[in-house]
Amino acid sequence: MANQTVLNKEQQYLKVFQEVTKLISMVLDPQQVMDLVVSRLPELLDVDAATIRLLDSSTNTFVLGAAHGLSDEYLSRSAIDTHDSMQMIMNGQPVAKTALQKNQLEQITAEAVREGIKGVLSLPIIFQGHIIGVMRLLTREERVFNSQEISFSMALAEQIGMALSNGRLFKEMENQVDFLTGLREISKVVNSTLNLDEILKTIVDMLPRIMGMKACTIRLLQPETNELELVAASGLSAEYLKRGRIKKENSIFKALKGEAVAIFDAESDPRVVYHDVIRREGIKSILAVPIKVGREIIGVLRLLTTDYHCFSNSEVTFATTVAEEGGNAIENARTYQKINLLFNQIEENERFLQNILDSLWTQLVVMDTRKHVVMVNKRFLEQQGLDENEVLGQTYHFCTIPMADQGAGCLADKVLTSGERVTSIDTLTHDGKEQWLERSLSPIVDDAGNVEFVIEAVRDITASRQLEEEKLARVKLEGVLEMAGTAAHELNTPLFAALGTAQLMWDDLQQGEMREDMDLIIRNLQTISSLTRKMTTMTGFESKDYVGETKIIELR
Amino acid sequence: MADIIALDDVQDAGILIKKILTKQGHTVHDFTEEEDAVNFVKNNPVDLAILDIKLKKMSGIEVLAQLKKIIPDLKAIMLTGYPTVETAREAISLGANEYCVKPIDRDELEEKVAKVLGASK
Repeated sequence: MANQTVLNKEQQYLKVFQEVTKLISMVLDPQQVMDLVVSRLPELLDVDAATIRLLDSSTNTFVLGAAHGLSDEYLSRSAIDTHDSMQMIMNGQPVAKTALQKNQLEQITAEAVREGIKGVLSLPIIFQGHIIGVMRLLTREERVFNSQEISFSMALAEQIGMALSNGRLFKEMENQVDFLTGLREISKVVNSTLNLDEILKTIVDMLPRIMGMKACTIRLLQPETNELELVAASGLSAEYLKRGRIKKENSIFKALKGEAVAIFDAESDPRVVYHDVIRREGIKSILAVPIKVGREIIGVLRLLTTDYHCFSNSEVTFATTVAEEGGNAIENARTYQKINLLFNQIEENERFLQNILDSLWTQLVVMDTRKHVVMVNKRFLEQQGLDENEVLGQTYHFCTIPMADQGAGCLADKVLTSGERVTSIDTLTHDGKEQWLERSLSPIVDDAGNVEFVIEAVRDITASRQLEEEKLARVKLEGVLEMAGTAAHELNTPLFAALGTAQLMWDDLQQGEMREDMDLIIRNLQTISSLTRKMTTMTGFESKDYVGETKIIELR
Repeated sequence: MADIIALDDVQDAGILIKKILTKQGHTVHDFTEEEDAVNFVKNNPVDLAILDIKLKKMSGIEVLAQLKKIIPDLKAIMLTGYPTVETAREAISLGANEYCVKPIDRDELEEKVAKVLGASK
């Protein structure tokens, strides 16, 4: 009879085992495996509830993978089991607990009591000698798990471990294929543009879509402040994005050190802050990876999920690779922006200098060492009636500013050979009028002191020359006037004495020849008197040729 | 008839003025030195001073200023061989009654002297 019972039990186990094997072979997705197992196992093993938790190797904690028959409150308790029990599980040993109602002193037990749990069988899920999770079977009736049940459950857990691992492996491979395609897609887009905003937007839009996640953010270190700045985001509310500074978040700190940080439970994980906002946004898990350019970290990329998610190695690797790919593209775009900025600045400076040169009243021509014109200013073109295209590249002789003796080329040669500045003043006759040009040719030398270019500056100095000549004439006139005035003054007094005396003598003379002679003297003295008067009142004079080189002046 | 002094650095000019005006019945004292003329005026009654503008040490304008301090209502005729607006303006402002340009004609001199002396009567 006992043998029959054992046989029945074994047949029953075989049936359950077959059933479980059949179930887990139906699906390859690890989540589906877990969901299926926890939903069907209670019925098969005659328990009230089942959970599967997976080991998060980054934190060495068990995170909930699937559950059946339990309240959210119970599932969200802070500790799964006592430290000793968890230690045994980590050592690969099953832990069975019964009559939990009787030991209410323990916090763990109290939570179980509130849930009405009276018995728990915790089974490590092992794959290739490593603990990858824990499966717990829970009863609300008094239940003692015998060694057979425990062994059988262990075998089941091992089977589940295999299924999970295979599923994970399959998922990883599937992911890798998807990720490879995704990486190619992202690379193609980000490398096809040098527009920084476009690159950032492509990454935050495409990456979460490829990885099946809710959202993505990119923060870049600003070179000026070395502070992280949010530069692109997708799938997140404005409230979440403006939640505050996250500089001191441990996840960010580690990412900036070059580590990838996977957070399973973002609502409570101390490596992120603003848990309330995270909860309101519905964020469950976060992956933060550094954005690198070579060995330098330039920012942080974060992926966010709305379901609890245990980030696999391939996911972390993929996100890291995309971040690196993006980093290079970002750096290229930034370099391009810098070059563009510099280029614009150079253009602006060039325009500024050209404006200055064009505003000069001086005609400018710059020629190279072969005396080919490389630059002229607007004044030159206007004065010579030429177009820039007619001048640039032409030989200097073709377009030089006219010279009286056609010697400008010689002046340029002098500068090219001596490296010294040369000046000359030319007089040209233009429409019957004299034109004075001041010509200055200066070298532009390189660091070695060799002449690279020659600048010719030609200035019309006709007006100033005319002014100088007028000034000279005025000075000359002033001199003549002073001289004439002085001479007149010196003559006037003796003349006054002579004329007056002659007039007095005329009175004393009798009629006759003597008086006529005195008339002649008086008349001539009066003529001299008129002349001296004219000398003191003169305002100008005119030079007149006299004899040979001698000139005399005529008073005006 | 009037007491007249004539001051000119050229002695012949002073002598001529003296000859012309003496014939008119005036008493004329001619000088070539500024100090002599000023000292004479200090010690003698004088109605009219005929002063050349260009003298040896001072200008006729400066001498006029000194003489006016001694005899405020002294009449004066300024003579110059080189008339300028500035000297004319200054002479008039110091109370010169006439401003004549050398070589002045005998008739003109007699006429100017008569006019200046007549104005005070």
